Amino acid sequence: MLNFLKIVLALAFVITVNTASAQQSKPILPGATKGILRDTAHNYVLKSATVSVYKLADSSLVSYQISNNYGEFSFKNLPVGVSLRLDVSHVAYQTLRKKFTIPNDKNFIDLGTLIINPKDNTLDEVTVTIPPITMNGDTLEFNAAAFKLDSNAVVEDLLRKIPNVTLWGDGQITVNGRVVKSVLVNGKPFFGGDAKVATQNIAKNALEKIQVYNTVKDKNNPLDSTLTVNLKLKKGKELGYFGKVGGGYGTDHRYEADASFNVFSPKMQLAIVGASNNINKSLNNVNTLINNSTFKGVGTNVEYQPDFRASGINQPNAGGVKFTYNFVEKPSWENKNTVTSSYFIQNTNNDFVSNSETTTSINTTDKIYEQNTNTSSNINNNQNFDAKYELTKKNKALTISHNLSRNKGENTNETFRNALNTQNVLTSTNNTFNQSSFDNSRFNFQVDFRLSQNYMKPKRIKGVNISYAITVNDNENNRSNLTDFTSFTNAASNRRFDRRYETKYNSVYQQINLELPNLKSLFFGKSELGGIDFQLSNSLNLNNRKDDNQVQDLNTIANSYLNNAYLSNHVETNFIEETPGLTITKSFYKSLSNRYNKNLTLNFAPKQKLIHQENKSQRSFQNITRNYQRFMPDASINYSDNQYGEYYKSYSVNFNTKVRLPSIDQLAPLTDSTNLYSLQRGNINLREAVDREISLSINHYDQTNKNTLNYNLSMTAGFTNDQIVDSTFIDDQNRRTNFLTNADGNRYLNFYGDARKAFKFKTSELQINLNSQISNTKTPGYTNSLFAFSKNFTTNTGLTVNYTYKSYLALAIGQTYGTYRSKQEAFNTEYSGVNKASTLSSSYNITKKFTLNTNISFNQSSSSNADDINFTIWNASAIYRFLKGNNAEFKLSALDIHHQNTSIINYGSGNSFTVGSRNVLQQYFMATFSYYPRQFGKKAAVKK
Amino acid sequence: MLRKTPSSIFVCLLFAFNLQAQTSKVDSSEMVTLRIDPDAARGAAVSQIFDEVKFIPLETTKESLFGSINQLRTTKDCYVIYDYDTKSVLIFNRDGKYRAKVNSTKVVADADEKDKQVFYGFNLIKNKDESLIRISSGKNYFFFDLDGKLVKKVAVGKRNTLDRYIKFADSLTTIAPYYVYKNGKDSTNYEVAILNDKKEVGLYFPFESDRFDKDQYMGGGNPVTDYGTDNELFYIRYYEYNLYKIKPKSVSLAYHIIFPASISIPQNFMDMTEYKKKRVEYFEKNPNQIYGISNPYLIGNNIYFKTNTLGWSQDKKNALVYNLKNGDLTSLKNLEPDTLSQFLPVTDGGSFYDFSNHGFHSYEDGYLYTSYSSLAMFSYKDLNAGKERKYDPILTKFFETQNKKSNPIIIQLKPKKN
Repeated sequence: MLNFLKIVLALAFVITVNTASAQQSKPILPGATKGILRDTAHNYVLKSATVSVYKLADSSLVSYQISNNYGEFSFKNLPVGVSLRLDVSHVAYQTLRKKFTIPNDKNFIDLGTLIINPKDNTLDEVTVTIPPITMNGDTLEFNAAAFKLDSNAVVEDLLRKIPNVTLWGDGQITVNGRVVKSVLVNGKPFFGGDAKVATQNIAKNALEKIQVYNTVKDKNNPLDSTLTVNLKLKKGKELGYFGKVGGGYGTDHRYEADASFNVFSPKMQLAIVGASNNINKSLNNVNTLINNSTFKGVGTNVEYQPDFRASGINQPNAGGVKFTYNFVEKPSWENKNTVTSSYFIQNTNNDFVSNSETTTSINTTDKIYEQNTNTSSNINNNQNFDAKYELTKKNKALTISHNLSRNKGENTNETFRNALNTQNVLTSTNNTFNQSSFDNSRFNFQVDFRLSQNYMKPKRIKGVNISYAITVNDNENNRSNLTDFTSFTNAASNRRFDRRYETKYNSVYQQINLELPNLKSLFFGKSELGGIDFQLSNSLNLNNRKDDNQVQDLNTIANSYLNNAYLSNHVETNFIEETPGLTITKSFYKSLSNRYNKNLTLNFAPKQKLIHQENKSQRSFQNITRNYQRFMPDASINYSDNQYGEYYKSYSVNFNTKVRLPSIDQLAPLTDSTNLYSLQRGNINLREAVDREISLSINHYDQTNKNTLNYNLSMTAGFTNDQIVDSTFIDDQNRRTNFLTNADGNRYLNFYGDARKAFKFKTSELQINLNSQISNTKTPGYTNSLFAFSKNFTTNTGLTVNYTYKSYLALAIGQTYGTYRSKQEAFNTEYSGVNKASTLSSSYNITKKFTLNTNISFNQSSSSNADDINFTIWNASAIYRFLKGNNAEFKLSALDIHHQNTSIINYGSGNSFTVGSRNVLQQYFMATFSYYPRQFGKKAAVKK
Repeated sequence: MLRKTPSSIFVCLLFAFNLQAQTSKVDSSEMVTLRIDPDAARGAAVSQIFDEVKFIPLETTKESLFGSINQLRTTKDCYVIYDYDTKSVLIFNRDGKYRAKVNSTKVVADADEKDKQVFYGFNLIKNKDESLIRISSGKNYFFFDLDGKLVKKVAVGKRNTLDRYIKFADSLTTIAPYYVYKNGKDSTNYEVAILNDKKEVGLYFPFESDRFDKDQYMGGGNPVTDYGTDNELFYIRYYEYNLYKIKPKSVSLAYHIIFPASISIPQNFMDMTEYKKKRVEYFEKNPNQIYGISNPYLIGNNIYFKTNTLGWSQDKKNALVYNLKNGDLTSLKNLEPDTLSQFLPVTDGGSFYDFSNHGFHSYEDGYLYTSYSSLAMFSYKDLNAGKERKYDPILTKFFETQNKKSNPIIIQLKPKKN
């Protein structure tokens, strides 16, 4: 907490310094002016015209606004005694220009009535200046050309300049306090739809204007709509490319290299990416690479840290292609025809080392300590190919997609485990060495068709949703295992194994869903039925899986591997699940024009689940056929309250039931005796577990324009009957045998909440974001035949404060606080721990080309049963950009300057808790060079 | 000329021919053509168009709280309004004081009726001394007095179109919209019939009874408007820019409006079979073309009317006043508040939705009526801040005691006639 205080003080200091310097460098602006716009030709005042004030000397924009309902404008905070120019513009009028100076003695000038003339259609007016903001029908437009920015600025830099827009630290964009749901470029999602890819890459100079408009869902309530931002590119700039080529090398042979190249045209988008590193930068798909290769402009961004938290040392190599083609150049919600396809290949080498100690209570007085050292290295090769076709026409939508993936790899794992008793005396060791290779492939194909009501041609059947999916898995795994168990109390129980496994499985999973919504009119015609409507649905799942396991043991006498007749087996599982369901809906509406709009919807969905589970095995005790039948009602209540111009609130309560069936491995497994520290036994008498869950969520959206506060809260409580739980027998040598049994009384309660608030000042902005997660569980279980509940309580809270000053400085401070507590009343034990981290990140533009970044985090991990661990990670970098378009970047970075990075293991669960550490990336220094090729529009066009 | 022909001979002659033959011919001999370019419409000060402007805030109590005015009629002492949000008829005194309310609790269904007793409007039956509010619900007419008390309940019998019929002052002539003419087994539908003591005097605009299934029609509200002149009504047809005048003996084409080509639909729009059942689609593609006109009132020398387009914008000059004498075209959205209106807008056109949605509610006894929300009123007042505007005692009290969530305000306007 002390660290956090330091940060707050530091921040307060920075803010004071900045405001102080701001006051010195900038004169106070007390001048004011006002006036009325009048169209004398038509004899009325002019509403919604843009009035902009510029400094006459350098034509720099001082302020702007839109004339009000009475045709009036009124400016405050203009400079006094300086020659100014007022421009009035409107689509249908000639631009009016007026020079004026606010006199020093009065600080005010009344410009009176300004006469504006309609545009003469026969004459082409030369547009002198483009107004910064215009109202075009119901679309608010910000014109890029009116904002003077550095030639290398990107769209994001422009957005920061607009007073109505807030760019949040986490990437969210709000306009006048309202959340922007989608950012489009020329009406289409841009390279996967992440706003960052558009706003941090597209040059401000390629942009004609930013359009903000509502996509109205409900015409009766114009406020119930989603906000869309469209970036309209200049004519001739609809095609172009952007990307990044970069490479870096540092101490300890650390390196990184990445390339991303993206081409777009009005209908087509193509991205080619590739990357390789050994500094834990994860490369999971094409979009991660595109998102992390953005150009960024001239403003400050708190840089994202390399993944210093990731455990182990990872060396990923990856490459891919993504292609999108829009057959419709300007897609809309009722006319869309798009095909998307991508291919991605990834090769990863990981090395993990971890050391930990787990303390387990076996009864009220005795504990067992298990010390675990684990070393593993993995090679993983992943290929993924997918394609998707979307066709939307009026009230019909068809989606066809497929996905083909192959995952091959090798894995080596070495584990040394020691067990100690309460007196800290070594009782046994269990060392294993595993080597495996695998080759898995998966194919998925999916069709989804939706037909909704066409209000122009009402029919009795209001709509239908049909979907079909098939997934085929083919897995192969070869493994060899060496296990050495040594007992120090009973030499007779020592074991040695040298076992080989060849396991294969093939599965086919099919799912057919059918939904018939709005059925009231089909069965009851025009009858009101008290406002009740209903929907029928049916879901059929078919699953077939064939397992083939061949296991061999080394026969030390013959010195050859012989078949293990018990573990070698062939199993076929068939699973059919049929769920017919009915949903009954009743809605209540209450609205008062211009005041509020409230809606309460009740849903009740009774469902019957019929399940057939069939197992055919070479082992007769595994030949099990079971049928389950269960009535599973779901219900929900949703309430929304929209108070026009004040707030929008929504509440929802959901109740649902889930059933979890015991699998064949839980009912009648073939017990592999190599894993002596955890022998799995089955229980043929297991019943299905039934989970009933109730959840509540509350959302609040502010609709006022200034300093908005938005928050979300959610809570989930669940009760499980016949929970399948472990009944564990632990002997003094830490040998565990897990039997399974049903037990009642499993409970959980989870809470999540977040709140965000922004303050926008003239030259700076402050954002506060708070989120918290609390989880409370009560889990039943047996340990050495003693029934006990484990009560676990964990919390995680994070507070982030972001501060930006002009385009020079960005600061982010964050504090996270996590706790856990695990309690077993039957054993009279309690474990608890705390993990804390305070971070301070900053980015400072010394010149337009030179930026310094630093981030520091103080971490503290404490546990009730172990010493505190404190460590500090400090990273810093200096970035220099050069060439005319800032296309080249040279970066020097120092990471983990204190050489303290540690990955802490500190958690509790059930009747045990674990503390320890893992290997992580530590201190290195690196020099990186990057080049950003960028071009918007044709080259020739640029020179003009 | 044709008008003067004895109608009996005319009817006899035509009887020999086919069904169409019963159809009366519209007299267009006195048709006046008006060329109107909405873009050229000018503004004016409120006092140049109106002689009187009165703001009547409607009292807000727990009992009287309602949404917006969907229908407004006046009597000597009262305003009778229908509010769709609360599905009720509310009665206020002329000073805005709440008087009574009729909602579904007062409209009791017959025992054999299943549906809830919701109603969607009212008729004001004006007799010499008293006015009755007639509400049609289920199988009955319910008559209420202006204190909201049920006076009588009359079974309608078989539902018919009679309640749409409009009686002229001579009490013999009736105008019947959507009239079905029966000739033996055959029957023909007419958009307008003039009946004299239940006998057909004129039958106008025949149509096929299933026309709404065969094609798409976009309208702008009630095609018949009463503009306060005895024995005269305006009638408007789908996809036409014509104002027909209904009189006791005949229907005549009074005004034919021509708009600039860029905002007009093709002349033979209804005959263009390629747009059959695709009319809405056509206007989605041509959002600036006027699909019809509505709310026409002939007041002195002025014709008030609205143009309807699918494309919608607050700036669009679509509520117009055309002066027949001097040809002046005024846009009602661009009226400038002045002292007569206490520097407040007389409609919410251009910034809120009530005037755009409903136009004027009615024209009665020389006054036009419109309304807007308290939300709008307070936003207009905020724009006047710092200008030392003085409001009359009624508005002063309103601004002091009420807020943005109070009941709407009625604006009573006396239009100039010259």
